Amino acid sequence: MTIRSQLLKGILDGCVLAVIEKEPVYGYELSKKLQKVGLEDVSEGTIYPVLLRLQKNKLILGEIRPSESGPNRKYYSLTSAGKVTLETISLEWNQLSVPINALLSKGDETIES
Amino acid sequence: MKASELIEQNNQKRALLTEGNEKYYTNLLLYIRTKLTLSEQQSEEVLMEMLDHLIEGQQEGKTAKEIFGNDPKGYADEIVSQLPRENKRNSFIFMGEIAVNIIGWFLIMRSIIIPIIGGEASEKVYVISSLLLIILIMIMTAFGVKMIFGLISQSSFDDKATDKKMMFKAGLYGAGGFLIIAIISFFVKEVGPSFTLPWQISFGIGSLLLLVSWLIKKSRI
Repeated sequence: MTIRSQLLKGILDGCVLAVIEKEPVYGYELSKKLQKVGLEDVSEGTIYPVLLRLQKNKLILGEIRPSESGPNRKYYSLTSAGKVTLETISLEWNQLSVPINALLSKGDETIES
Repeated sequence: MKASELIEQNNQKRALLTEGNEKYYTNLLLYIRTKLTLSEQQSEEVLMEMLDHLIEGQQEGKTAKEIFGNDPKGYADEIVSQLPRENKRNSFIFMGEIAVNIIGWFLIMRSIIIPIIGGEASEKVYVISSLLLIILIMIMTAFGVKMIFGLISQSSFDDKATDKKMMFKAGLYGAGGFLIIAIISFFVKEVGPSFTLPWQISFGIGSLLLLVSWLIKKSRI
């Protein structure tokens, strides 16, 4: 496993919740959207264990209904608990990312100098 | 959508897969479906999602390996670990259905054998030994199903496993089980209270039980 995918694993739940918050999506759509924002390392299949876990924890709700293109798809939407969790994850991420950015970018400078 | 409808759709849609993708997917499917303690509904839903995903990916030229990774067993284990368990009520109904079915067949077999053997003695039912035998058959069936599903599950991602080897193991189990039942029923034949159950009545009750188990099955799926 690359370092990037290891880092991603911890925060993937948050990314999936964030995509679902914008509008209900089905699995294939979700993986497309994650790739579109630049998370190309996420192997497409990875989302299914994540979706199952989020459903089990009642953070999202899956519902099978007809899609625009015709066939039935399982669409996921956020539950109220999911919204709360997403807010918490965003908050925690911000608290972590600022100091880590500062620290790791500084590290680069030391090597360069 | 019910699990039975999803299974039906799954069978049709699998035909759309290319040979390599079909093999990869079918292994995942067998592995997940043979985990008997998992919720059937949730298993079938995620299997359908993965199949839909694979079909869409295939149209873009992607392979199952690219979508689900190089380690199908590891991936399947991850899915299995996140799937919820079947609720107790459903498992109980399912086991009840099988029990009724087994007792039904037991009575019908008896009604076939009695006229062949003949004699009034064979129409006697010894309560304790009959109960013992039925319970034994049920336990053997449960273990048999568990073992065969375990075999399928194990061999899902094992290229070296052959159908012949599996059939041999399953056959060996069947023969062994039969032998045990035969030996035990020979020794515990005539003890305890008994009553006479003519083969016609045995046949009638047996048929009724089979009908009941069929009705339970119909209502279940």
